[in-house]
Amino acid sequence: MTAGDASPFLGLAHISKLFGSFRAVDDLSLGIVEGEVYALLGPSGCGKSTTLRQIAGLDSPDTGTITLRGNVLFSAADDVFVPPQKRNMGMVFQSYAIWPHLTVGETVAYPLRLRRVAGAEVERAVHGILAQVGLDGFADRPSTTLSGGQQQRVALARALVYKPDVLLLDEPFSNLDVKLREQMRVELKLLQRQVGVTVILVTHDQSEALSLADRVAVMNAGRIEQVGDPVELYENPVSPFVRDFIGLSTCFDVTVSAQRGDEAEVRFDGGDTSFVSGAFRGVTPVPGAKLVAAIRPESIEIVRGSGAVGANRLAGTVETLLFIGDRFECHVRAGGLRFLVYVPRSDRLREGDAVTLHVPKDALSLWPK
Amino acid sequence: MAEVASPGAAARSPFRRLRPGTLGASVVLLVMLVLVAYPLVLLVEASFLVEGAGGAKAYGFELWRTAWDAPGLVPSIVNTFYRVVVTEVIAFPAAILIAWAVARTDLPGKKLIDAFFWIAFFLPALPVLMGWILLFDPQYGLANQAWAYLFGVEKGPFDIYTFSGIIFAHIAARSVAAKYIFLSPAFRNLDGAMEEASRIAGASPLRTLLRIVIPVLMPAFLITLCISLIHSLESFEIELVLGPPTNFYVFSTKIYQFIQEDPPMFGVATVLGLAILASMLPLIFWQQYLSHQRSYVTVTSHFSLNILRLRGWRWPTFATIAAFGTLITVVPVVFLVMGTFMSLYGHFGLAEAWTLDHWETVLADPPMLRATGNTLIMGGAAALFGVFWYSLVAYISVRTRFAARGVLDFLSWLPASLPGIILGLALLWVFLNVELFQPLYGTIVVLVVACILNSISTGVQLVKSNMVQLGRDLEEASFITGGSWAYTFRRIVLPLLGPVLIAVGLLTFVSAARNVSTIAMLVASDNRPLAMLQVDHIVDGTFEAGAVVGVLIVLLTLGIAVIARMIGRRFGFSGLR
Repeated sequence: MTAGDASPFLGLAHISKLFGSFRAVDDLSLGIVEGEVYALLGPSGCGKSTTLRQIAGLDSPDTGTITLRGNVLFSAADDVFVPPQKRNMGMVFQSYAIWPHLTVGETVAYPLRLRRVAGAEVERAVHGILAQVGLDGFADRPSTTLSGGQQQRVALARALVYKPDVLLLDEPFSNLDVKLREQMRVELKLLQRQVGVTVILVTHDQSEALSLADRVAVMNAGRIEQVGDPVELYENPVSPFVRDFIGLSTCFDVTVSAQRGDEAEVRFDGGDTSFVSGAFRGVTPVPGAKLVAAIRPESIEIVRGSGAVGANRLAGTVETLLFIGDRFECHVRAGGLRFLVYVPRSDRLREGDAVTLHVPKDALSLWPK
Repeated sequence: MAEVASPGAAARSPFRRLRPGTLGASVVLLVMLVLVAYPLVLLVEASFLVEGAGGAKAYGFELWRTAWDAPGLVPSIVNTFYRVVVTEVIAFPAAILIAWAVARTDLPGKKLIDAFFWIAFFLPALPVLMGWILLFDPQYGLANQAWAYLFGVEKGPFDIYTFSGIIFAHIAARSVAAKYIFLSPAFRNLDGAMEEASRIAGASPLRTLLRIVIPVLMPAFLITLCISLIHSLESFEIELVLGPPTNFYVFSTKIYQFIQEDPPMFGVATVLGLAILASMLPLIFWQQYLSHQRSYVTVTSHFSLNILRLRGWRWPTFATIAAFGTLITVVPVVFLVMGTFMSLYGHFGLAEAWTLDHWETVLADPPMLRATGNTLIMGGAAALFGVFWYSLVAYISVRTRFAARGVLDFLSWLPASLPGIILGLALLWVFLNVELFQPLYGTIVVLVVACILNSISTGVQLVKSNMVQLGRDLEEASFITGGSWAYTFRRIVLPLLGPVLIAVGLLTFVSAARNVSTIAMLVASDNRPLAMLQVDHIVDGTFEAGAVVGVLIVLLTLGIAVIARMIGRRFGFSGLR
């Protein structure tokens, strides 16, 4: 993992954090570009929230440095620590951290008042930001009377009203219901484009990270596994962890039977099926090698009928069909194996139908076992 | 000592830079060591001190050997435990039944019953005791007079100056009320789904009770029992008033008696105090162990209460509990107030049985005025400085990574487990024997310190639990937006904790105003507060004036407790101690 270009807008270098003997963050480095939306994505306990809190200054690493615009915010070696109130960052907490004793207007005005902004200017700024987050006319309401979604908007307004250099979002949508979550995602993306603020988003929800972020860093066990734009991550995961965490893959044990340039022929263990693969992930498929082959369900083409002709084609029968709203999840038994395939709703398949599967060679990736 | 923070993570914690800092925390710890640990150390040292040749200091077991021969010392220890066991055997099951009935049945008038016990909890013991004396005095007690009149006998059967009288006074004072207040939340918070799951699995109601309800509530029962035993051991006032006529002394009244001798028998009193403390150690450690256990009773948002329908038993149960509630609150207060208007306590046959004289005399009495002033100053100062101190200790404990937090927690928790009379004795040693503190002896400062220590465990606990509930996010959100520590404390922490702090202050005032045991031996002629004045009146037999003082104390304590309760209600801590 590289630390981005020479002097990133926000840079973390060799950050480590121990809780007892548990390595919450393990020699982590990353670089964030000004104006981008950067997501830290990973399962709970992977160190993403700790990393965010270290950027905010609410927690400090044991080793490493953090810089913003080339200024050192934290350095373990030089014993530098800029406290959170001097970092000019904004943050939306998972719990929203709405102060129960203040109204919406007072809450949003809080950062301005402590900066001794003039009264009229405060008024103007508060109304401006409340309008932007869609809370026009809520200024006099006590914050605690608002719904979850509205409280989140207040938290967002409070974090943006003083034009911070960086906006930190800690699992911002996890307390909202699914409908509201999708709506807030769109609104946040629009708002970020308007304001142009750099955003760091921490989430365990891959669709949240993929849909909002310009770049996503997938974290696991205190380390970054891969950084890339969402499409790249989805299509070219570099590690089994990223492959399994983002999207869904069906994996099979295979043995390499032949290699021709950038293609390899593999035989599925426990069957007599052979497929050709054109995607090698950290493996050199010498004949006889035992590997894992992964296929994303949406990459498999399925046609009715059993006329299996050509490479990477296999005849089978539909075992189960699960209707999940926008499509069917179809399990096909073919060649002694079981494949998961996504089928459009318009394909009127039935359980027991004979079908032919086609796995394009680049959709079949080979991984170390 | 605080500078030896563990290297690594904690040493570079940002909260060192954000929060009042290690130095401030160390000062707080030092003060706590001087106020809590040092007096106890002095006490232990004193018990081993023997007069060496030429007045030189020497150490030995002399006192520990001879003290046991002091008249009445060993019986006082036996009496202490006998009295505690008898009281608890009656009060504990009663409190469990009442708390269960209020929380888990369709009993009517729950709010009324709740109020009864809450008032009983806050009623100061001595004024209540005066009410009981008026009723059950063997000579002129009203109950005895009524009995004699009704049954045509010469003398009624009641005598409060007996062992059973003392037990009755305890049960009618805080014994049942305090346990009720402790147990109620446990019964209320027991999720009905646990019982339902057992019933659906095929268990009978009895089996569910034995296998689910009681095991789940057991931690709450045990901790309540343990705290009750400790509190019961501390008792002082009731025995001080009711014990001497039958020569019934418990350890606390015995210590008080030893100190009242001329010259005071400090050594023997100290040995007795330490012996009791030593015998309480298992209880103290047990309580510490229990309170660190995980509590099974947790409140969730999806919550259902299983309410047992009492059917025909509804009103009889209510009548029984309400009658008991009335007996321990309304009855003694009514007779106390009545006593203040009687020419001679208990004599209704006099030509002029009723008078306002006592009020007029007492309210114009200079010592009385001084005592009122002393109580107000003592309680006010204890409340003010206490709240400040409790918040500091709580803040260090909850929000910083100060290395010696554990020691601080222990020191703030310890005074609750020390009997008031022993804490008072220990402070007496400090103020008499440490040169630096000697000038303070006889001033109100001594009493303020004693009162602050007396309430410190409750105070710190209340502030802590509210601080924890506050959530660190709320402060962090302020730091992030640019707020300094001081700005955040002023605009976020204080406004949110304000009501709790006010309530803690009022409670500190209340326990200072009613306190007798901790300050009994620290009081000199000039700093005498109302509660001690009342003790004097009772001991001197001037009950009428004592009753007037008692009514004033009730007003000062219960009145303020009601205000604290109203504030507490709004902010969700009804289980106030």
